[in-house]
Amino acid sequence: MPATHSASAPHESTATPGTLRRAVVVGGNRIPFARTGGAYTKSSNQDMLTAALDGLIARFGLQEERIGEVAAGAVLKHSRDFNLTREAVLGSALSAETPAYDLQQACATGLETVLGLANKIKLGQIDSAIAGGVDSASDAPIAVSEGLREILLDLNRAKSLPERLKVLSRMRPKDLAPDAPNTGEPRTGLSMGEHQALTTAQWKISREAQDEIAFNSHHNLAAAYERGFFDDLVTPYRGLSRDSNLRPDTSMEKLATLKPVFGKSLGAEATMTAGNSTPLTDGASTVLLGTEEWADSRGLPKLAVVVDGEAAAVDFVHGKDGLLMAPAFAVPRLLARNGLSFEDIDFFEIHEAFAGTVLSTLAAWEDEEFGRIRLGLDGALGKIDRAKLNVNGSSLAAGHPFAATGGRIVASLAKMLHENGPVDGRPARGLISICAAGGQGVVAILEAFSAPEGR
Amino acid sequence: MSTEQPVILGDLPSLSKLYVNAAATAARRRVLGFQAAAELPHGSHEVHGVRADVENLTAYQHLIGETASDVLPAGFIHALAFPVAMSVLNRDDFPLPLLGMIHLKNHVEQLRAVLFNEPLDVRSWAEDMRGHRAGTQLDVVAEVRSSEDGTLLWRGVSTYLAKGVFLPGVDKAATAAAPAEFTAPAPTAVWQLGVDTGRLYAAVSGDFNPIHLSLLSAKALGLPRSIAHGMYLASRALADVGAVKSEAFRWDVAFEAPVYLPARVALEIGTVHSVSGQWERSDYVAWNPRSGRRHFSGSVTAL
Repeated sequence: MPATHSASAPHESTATPGTLRRAVVVGGNRIPFARTGGAYTKSSNQDMLTAALDGLIARFGLQEERIGEVAAGAVLKHSRDFNLTREAVLGSALSAETPAYDLQQACATGLETVLGLANKIKLGQIDSAIAGGVDSASDAPIAVSEGLREILLDLNRAKSLPERLKVLSRMRPKDLAPDAPNTGEPRTGLSMGEHQALTTAQWKISREAQDEIAFNSHHNLAAAYERGFFDDLVTPYRGLSRDSNLRPDTSMEKLATLKPVFGKSLGAEATMTAGNSTPLTDGASTVLLGTEEWADSRGLPKLAVVVDGEAAAVDFVHGKDGLLMAPAFAVPRLLARNGLSFEDIDFFEIHEAFAGTVLSTLAAWEDEEFGRIRLGLDGALGKIDRAKLNVNGSSLAAGHPFAATGGRIVASLAKMLHENGPVDGRPARGLISICAAGGQGVVAILEAFSAPEGR
Repeated sequence: MSTEQPVILGDLPSLSKLYVNAAATAARRRVLGFQAAAELPHGSHEVHGVRADVENLTAYQHLIGETASDVLPAGFIHALAFPVAMSVLNRDDFPLPLLGMIHLKNHVEQLRAVLFNEPLDVRSWAEDMRGHRAGTQLDVVAEVRSSEDGTLLWRGVSTYLAKGVFLPGVDKAATAAAPAEFTAPAPTAVWQLGVDTGRLYAAVSGDFNPIHLSLLSAKALGLPRSIAHGMYLASRALADVGAVKSEAFRWDVAFEAPVYLPARVALEIGTVHSVSGQWERSDYVAWNPRSGRRHFSGSVTAL
């Protein structure tokens, strides 16, 4: 077991000013994702994040270790959970002297924690970090109505019994209706599914193409479980050892029988079903990051390097772009900054919020006009090799506990890159693309770890 | 323990029925008179293939302040074994009145982490009836083994006092040494326990002893107000010790002044590490912050 640090001991920082260190993905751990109302119905965000964290601690021998920093978040979070991540750390076997912070960027939360912590590692501020995310659609916070909230606050301020009674007399039956969270966009009133239905129709994505994405997702994820790919990425929790949404036996015929659920009132043909849209899901994921030296000193693996990341946002409010189309802009910017094209990418991890999201993004990249006018390129950005897309399944099969998706993808991709070995003499490279509510998107490039020249 | 054949119960006995039966037995003994034997029953009671109810486990964990992990808290295993222990105390040949017995101390050895989906065999018996300056005390032992391979996973010894009961043939204890003077340290935590604390713990532990449930039911048994379950308090202290403890540990608690509800309880937890930085022990003590009276104290020690 590694020696513990005292709170006052400085980090044995290996950074020299002006040079960036490499941020290495050591590994990851998540709990299986569960459909809402299933195995994790009574588990809170803190329970699930702690469970994922404890599995990571056990896998990499981090008991009583002081980690540089832990960052995680949840999209559906009660205000009393303001210190969710720190509370999970305190409930875990990590040293209580490990600092932590919460982050929230809708469905990009998990990936953004990885990028932010990787940057701190690169800058020499910390030597180790755990990124993560969690969400429970089952144990979601419910707010009281605005009317009841105002009455309760006034009641708290009232000083005498008559004053209190006067405040209470304002209460009306409608005030008792709770205000449950929903996936509607505050500025448009449309749900995320309705927004995507508009985009799906705009890019003329067929029902069959969407069902094929869903079919591949289930079959790829099932195959990955079968060959033991997730054995060192997932820890069982509450009796689940695989994602409960996974349907290994689904078929194109079965998917074709499902009735559309989104876009039924949009005029165009409705193509989005419960099969090619992600279900509400509960789950948590974590990723262990560190410098090469930190990993080496503990005999830990070095799977991949966090190369770079980029965020983008679109003006979806007045329909200029689709709500979930920000990655279509973030990816070309990220590739350009790193001097890369699609040919240099060996694995594409495009989060399947909806099959239509993946296909609309690909369609935009393949579109001449979009490339010229919106991206400022000479023509289309390009076409990706579909054989490299979500090869071990993605959110349509695994489910999508909003903030936990980024950690799931980063840990899985890091392992794929490591297993793949070099491509044409260079380390294998992967691209992650995650869309998020509010018209945002975060994308990143990971590269298989390889020892630097001269070592 | 004797070699008498154990009584195998088909299922976990219902605690509410046991309490009703205990009340009936007490009434019958009062009316008909009862010549108490100076001996405990010799047999043990067993239930095989017990499984934790996962929803109940989660509710227990949240109430006690544990994270809802897949590992059964040591206090939860106590609650799981408790009906079997109670069925021993409920036997017709058990010489002491079950209702009104006072939990003096509790000792648990958790030999390895137990997961919620493991089938468990629970066995319990009473032993070592002996004198106490205020009555008669005895130990109730419970052992929890893996149904699969019989490995001992958890062992608990609860010491109870039947106050004011002096049985012929059971020696009266020499007068106890005067309790050490207690000076309250600086608290590390203060618990706010509502009047419903007993009812909430009864709901997750199944221990519906009337002294914990309400003012009226407690008064009926001679208490001024309802009191918190001892194992609720000890389990919360164990949860507050936290994940620092090793997988195998010893957990001791000695109960002193009862916690009348509602209450504020001050707590101090001190942690002892070895020279190499390994966790060795956590000691806890709880007291009434107003009167300074000690409620309970104990320790969690690496095994």
